[in-house]
Amino acid sequence: MMRKINISCIIDDDPIFVYGTKKVMKEADFCSDVIVYNNGKEAIDGLRTLVEEKKELPSLIFLDLNMPVMDGWEFLDNFITIPNNNIEKVHVYVISSSIDANDFIRARNYKVVNNYILKPITPEDLVEVLKIFSNDL
Amino acid sequence: MKQNLNLQTFIKESLIKDDPTAVVTLTNELEIINYSNAFLEEFNIEKYDLEGEKLLDVLTELPQEIIGYLYDALQGKPSSSEGEQFDINKGIHHWYKWKMSPWKKNEKEIGGVILVIEDITLKKREAELLLGALRVARIGGWELDLLKNKIYWTDITREIHETPADFEPDLASGINFYKEGYSRDTISKLVNDSIKTGAPWDVELQLVTYTNKEIWVRAKGEAQIINGECVRLFGTFQDIDQQKKRDIAYKKVSERLSVAKNAAKIGIWEYHINENSLTWDQTMYELYEIEESNFSGIYEAWKASVHPEDQERFQEEINQAIEGKKDFNTTFRVVWPSGEVRHIRAASVLQKNSAGDSYIMVGANWDITELIRTKLSLERSEESFQGAFQNSAVGMAIVGLDGKWIDVNDTICNSLGYTKKKLLSLSFQDITHPEDLHTDMSLLKEVVDGYRNSYTMEKKYFHAKGHLVYVILTVTAVKDIDGNLLHFISQIVDISSRIIAEDRLKKFLAITNHQNKSLLNFAHIVSHNLRSHSSNLSMLSNFLLEEKEEAEKKTIEKLIRDSSNSLNETVLHLNEVVQVKTTVVENLESIPLKEVLLQVKNSINGLIEKHQVICTMEIPDKLKVKAVSAYLESILLNLFTNSIRYKHPDRTPKLHIKAYMSGNQKVLSFSDNGMGIDLKKHENKIFGMYKTFHNHPEAKGIGLFITKNQVEAMNGRIEVESEVDKGTTFKVYFKID
Repeated sequence: MMRKINISCIIDDDPIFVYGTKKVMKEADFCSDVIVYNNGKEAIDGLRTLVEEKKELPSLIFLDLNMPVMDGWEFLDNFITIPNNNIEKVHVYVISSSIDANDFIRARNYKVVNNYILKPITPEDLVEVLKIFSNDL
Repeated sequence: MKQNLNLQTFIKESLIKDDPTAVVTLTNELEIINYSNAFLEEFNIEKYDLEGEKLLDVLTELPQEIIGYLYDALQGKPSSSEGEQFDINKGIHHWYKWKMSPWKKNEKEIGGVILVIEDITLKKREAELLLGALRVARIGGWELDLLKNKIYWTDITREIHETPADFEPDLASGINFYKEGYSRDTISKLVNDSIKTGAPWDVELQLVTYTNKEIWVRAKGEAQIINGECVRLFGTFQDIDQQKKRDIAYKKVSERLSVAKNAAKIGIWEYHINENSLTWDQTMYELYEIEESNFSGIYEAWKASVHPEDQERFQEEINQAIEGKKDFNTTFRVVWPSGEVRHIRAASVLQKNSAGDSYIMVGANWDITELIRTKLSLERSEESFQGAFQNSAVGMAIVGLDGKWIDVNDTICNSLGYTKKKLLSLSFQDITHPEDLHTDMSLLKEVVDGYRNSYTMEKKYFHAKGHLVYVILTVTAVKDIDGNLLHFISQIVDISSRIIAEDRLKKFLAITNHQNKSLLNFAHIVSHNLRSHSSNLSMLSNFLLEEKEEAEKKTIEKLIRDSSNSLNETVLHLNEVVQVKTTVVENLESIPLKEVLLQVKNSINGLIEKHQVICTMEIPDKLKVKAVSAYLESILLNLFTNSIRYKHPDRTPKLHIKAYMSGNQKVLSFSDNGMGIDLKKHENKIFGMYKTFHNHPEAKGIGLFITKNQVEAMNGRIEVESEVDKGTTFKVYFKID
């Protein structure tokens, strides 16, 4: 039986994508709660606060690459520097509209990144993500 | 009877008087009765009448022995001698030849003596001298009696043959003394011929003596023919060995000289000045190509064959030689009868005769035409080298072992920008770029050390004006005939234009690379930005199809509209970028900067007033920049709005715009006191497309990207300086006029 994710996180500056993803997640009954950050900077700051307040971190992060202020790459570099981050328990998926192969390769070189999902995100994508998430436990 | 007596007396007297011999008739008391005139002559007696004189008074030097013979004759004993030597005085000898006999008065009584006497001292001396001469000349005689087959040799002949005194030669042994081969064959034939025909001979042949020495002799012989038959051969031997050997040696030397002379084609001439007689040897005729028979043998004939242009000098030099001022040692041209001109070298010595009043010039001539031609062709090749050197399109230089330029051609001067004089005062080290000096020097050392003969390298010189000249240098060693290094020949091909072309090519390549990168960047933008909208649209349209709730449908429809607007906007941006990138700006206009700036400022006056921007300007009124009008407006607008958009939230925005010169380049700077950008983080992205750094609703990440592209399209560049919370300065560098 598939296990439901408690908290998911979406880091993206595109409100339409966020809207759509949330909608798909809800229909798929993907998780209980969703945290949204509009760019990498907001996400790092938010996550750092969660760690500091010893609150539950999201189990899964959908990360966009092109964002203002701090892009996805920069977020990844900063994310691993958060103390007590329990990174190994966090599944990170890069979600991008970029079909540039360089971006795929670059994303794969981050240990923390589980996979690369092309926008738009579909219910099938979520099922696959869930399956992997369950197996990992 | 009396008559008879008279006749008798007359006959007697006249006969005695005219007797060709020296005869004298004497009485018993040795008184002269009568005598022949020859007697007077014989003894140089001047007194005419000797009758009645005592003989001993007349011939005072008559030797005692002969006086004794006279007395013997008076006693009836006649005597005679063909010649006898008497010691008259100590050391003085006289030879006498005589015949004396008594005459009788009657049957019984001796009346006196008749004496025929002759002083043969002189004759004898002549014979002795002759013999002596023969001995000195080593001439020996011989005689062959064919009837008896007996040979008679004189003492000298024996000496010549070195035979013992008792050696008895015959015809065969005589001939066998001749050296086997030519000498013996020759003498045999000559003797045979002479016996048959009576022909005499006179030859020089070799003998092998009794003691086995080879000597040269002159053998002469002739035959005596009686009644058509040869009865006797006689002749002489002369020892000519030394003379012959000298002759042979001389002949050898002369032959050698002659061979050398002929081989070297040296003509010998002799000019007897007083007689004006000129003697040429065969070679001289060959040198002048004159037939011997056509040559008059006088000086004028010689002078005539000298080239007209050289005749005067020839004459002058001959005169100087005759006057003893200067040796005749010169060159001149001669004209052959065929018209060909040849070069002759002449040397001579002047000889005086013993009296010192006549002169002979003896000299030599030889043809030096080939030498002159070789020299000429050498000079010509030197000239042609000089010509090639000076006129070569390649820079050429002769460089000394110390690196000093010995000679340089015009091309190298032009390439390096120096005058010839200035360049010659420098060494190649002086104008070689330090980076290349070591390579050049070490290669040169290898040439000096003989490891290589030449080398080629690419190097840089400093032009007289300071800039670099790129060349391909080839250095070749020049050595003398002994292999000693004389100097170097440097050939310099100026490849500056090639290097410049290469640099230009590199720049093109850089531009191409840059454009390729932009293209990739562009592709990336297309792949990302267009896809983000299209993916949103496809997602939303799926939602719309499945959505049941009307309210939610409305939301989705609104989002679809937003998304399609964004897509539209992105496409417009991309179009703008493509236009900038594909527009090749070649003809930039000169645009008055201040005028355009004020226009742009006016167009956003509302915005400036709204944000209460304090804008100051420092732009020279007449300053013009190379630009495309529309681009310049777009750039200025972007910089204005950027400054205002990212103003600092806590303070009144200030904008200072100024233009100035940086070197020879015009620069426009926009300085604001806005939020600033963390350049450490964002320097690489600031001019990138869709890069935004502030969480600003209007930040699209397209403005600076397009600005940069426009600046670069106008061959300019843009720079940024910024500090977070302090402000940002953008500097636009315009194309250099």
